[in-house]
Amino acid sequence: MSALKIALTKGRTEKQVIPLLEASGIDCTAIRNKQRRLIFNDSPDYHFILAKGPDVLTYLDRGAMDIGIVGSDILEEQHNEQYEMLNLQTGKCHFVLASTPEFDPHQVKRKIIATKYPNITQRYFRSIGEDVEIIKIEGSVELAPLVGLADAIVDIVETGTTLKENNLQVFATLQSVSTRLVVNRLSLKQHQSAIQQLINHLQQAIKTEV
Amino acid sequence: MFNRNLPIGTRDEFGSVAQAKEKITNQIQDYFRNRGFQKLTTPLLEYKAVFSSMEQQTYQPYQMLDEHGETLVLRPDLTLPVARVMSTTGIKTPVKWYYSGEVFRVKKQLSGSYNQRTQAGIEIIGYRSLKAEWECLTAAIELCQQLAVNDLHVELGHARFVNAVLHALPLNTLQQATLQQALFSKNVTAYQAVIAPLADDPFYPFLEIWPWLFGDFDQVLQQLKLLPDLPELQSILQELSATQAFLQQQFSQQSIELDLSIESPQAYYTGMIFHGYNDSTAEFLFSGGRYDQLLSSFQNTLQPAVGLAFEVDQLAQYTAITDTTPTTLIYFDAASWGAAQQTLQAQPNSSLCLAETKHEAEQIARRTNSKLIDVTEVNP
Repeated sequence: MSALKIALTKGRTEKQVIPLLEASGIDCTAIRNKQRRLIFNDSPDYHFILAKGPDVLTYLDRGAMDIGIVGSDILEEQHNEQYEMLNLQTGKCHFVLASTPEFDPHQVKRKIIATKYPNITQRYFRSIGEDVEIIKIEGSVELAPLVGLADAIVDIVETGTTLKENNLQVFATLQSVSTRLVVNRLSLKQHQSAIQQLINHLQQAIKTEV
Repeated sequence: MFNRNLPIGTRDEFGSVAQAKEKITNQIQDYFRNRGFQKLTTPLLEYKAVFSSMEQQTYQPYQMLDEHGETLVLRPDLTLPVARVMSTTGIKTPVKWYYSGEVFRVKKQLSGSYNQRTQAGIEIIGYRSLKAEWECLTAAIELCQQLAVNDLHVELGHARFVNAVLHALPLNTLQQATLQQALFSKNVTAYQAVIAPLADDPFYPFLEIWPWLFGDFDQVLQQLKLLPDLPELQSILQELSATQAFLQQQFSQQSIELDLSIESPQAYYTGMIFHGYNDSTAEFLFSGGRYDQLLSSFQNTLQPAVGLAFEVDQLAQYTAITDTTPTTLIYFDAASWGAAQQTLQAQPNSSLCLAETKHEAEQIARRTNSKLIDVTEVNP
């Protein structure tokens, strides 16, 4: 059987997941010493690519990759069609609604919310019966309320340090986020035993970590 | 501004790809015509209401309004229009249709997906017997053989299996729904959390392996021994086993698989479901199954129906025409038209060169890397 092709979200996710993969018996030396490489085809059983989170799903949807390792924030934002099989229990953080201390969540107006996650933001405000204007920001979302672009932001928070340093406070805590293992629907059939084995090993590794 | 651009999600097809699709579509249609099926063609445009039994989340249609403000769609499915025809025209059953055509579903933008795909398939209406499923499967396998699809996997399933088991579990409706959701999305983490409270239940050993209940037919049946006896399942399992035995007898080399954890492709399926794929496709090559209640959404009489559809675009990837014969151009003049016609018949991969002069013909032959035959020389 051919190798399992895994797309791993590069950066923080990659660093947090590598110990789990290693504990599951996958040699990640090449990724640890990657320098500028993005593709790792040396092992006969597992091939890896490193990609940005949203792109992991694109590779997976087109069947270019069998497995994706990506944050649940991206899965929720992008409407994932593939099998989200395992919560890897790493990369844990949560969405918050945050702003400057002067922000009044009950003020009567159509609020302006800046975010990298327009779908999640819209779903949250719809669930509390509010309609807001959303401004899509690509990064450093904290800036928006500080310079008066938006009334508040919806963003991911791990420790809250960035918010505090920018004099922002949390007004509501939304859903939590963690890293997930996602499998292409047809790949699961084509590589059933290999994927089942990988998932069993990962579950063992997660138990030991926790 | 857009006079030279294609809308997102569409593409032009030409040369070998377009010809491969044409050839496959023709091959499929010829096959069914020879099996005594009749052709049915329905329009690209339909009222949106025709497709109301499709799950809205799974597809986005192209839609527009007609002159009275009714919503029209470019058809996202080819089975529901057949049901519409059957319920409005008084066609006598049983009847066997074959069709081919384009379906449109708007996919995620800029993701490399196409919104228009070609399907070719059949609908067998009015037969309650399992023989209808068997004719579909026979056709599917024979056609894949004709189209030289390597390592085909044929997978069977049943639309009623999951529900029959769910209803037997000591769970309330909400818990059943949660379990079904986790099972269908293969969310192992959520699934294990839902079944954890049932650890002492006789169903538990089965529940533990249920998300993995797919693969080799006999192995899956073996694992099913963990499931306590359920009378509702007997007819389902009998149908599946009889079908496997039939296929093994007819196609002894064919790998037959079983999936008892999968969701029906559409909510309207009521019986056996089948899919075909191979080791390198990213999508199913064909899909089908039984939907005995489909027609009841259009009229009150129930009509048993079984259908099968091939994804022509997927199949075309395996049968792209790679004709290596060099092309030949035939140069002729008014007097040698007859000779040119004869050469055209005799010479494979040839075509008439319509250039005015020999010199021009030679230039074209050089430019297109073709051999040039001058029939004016033979017939002075």
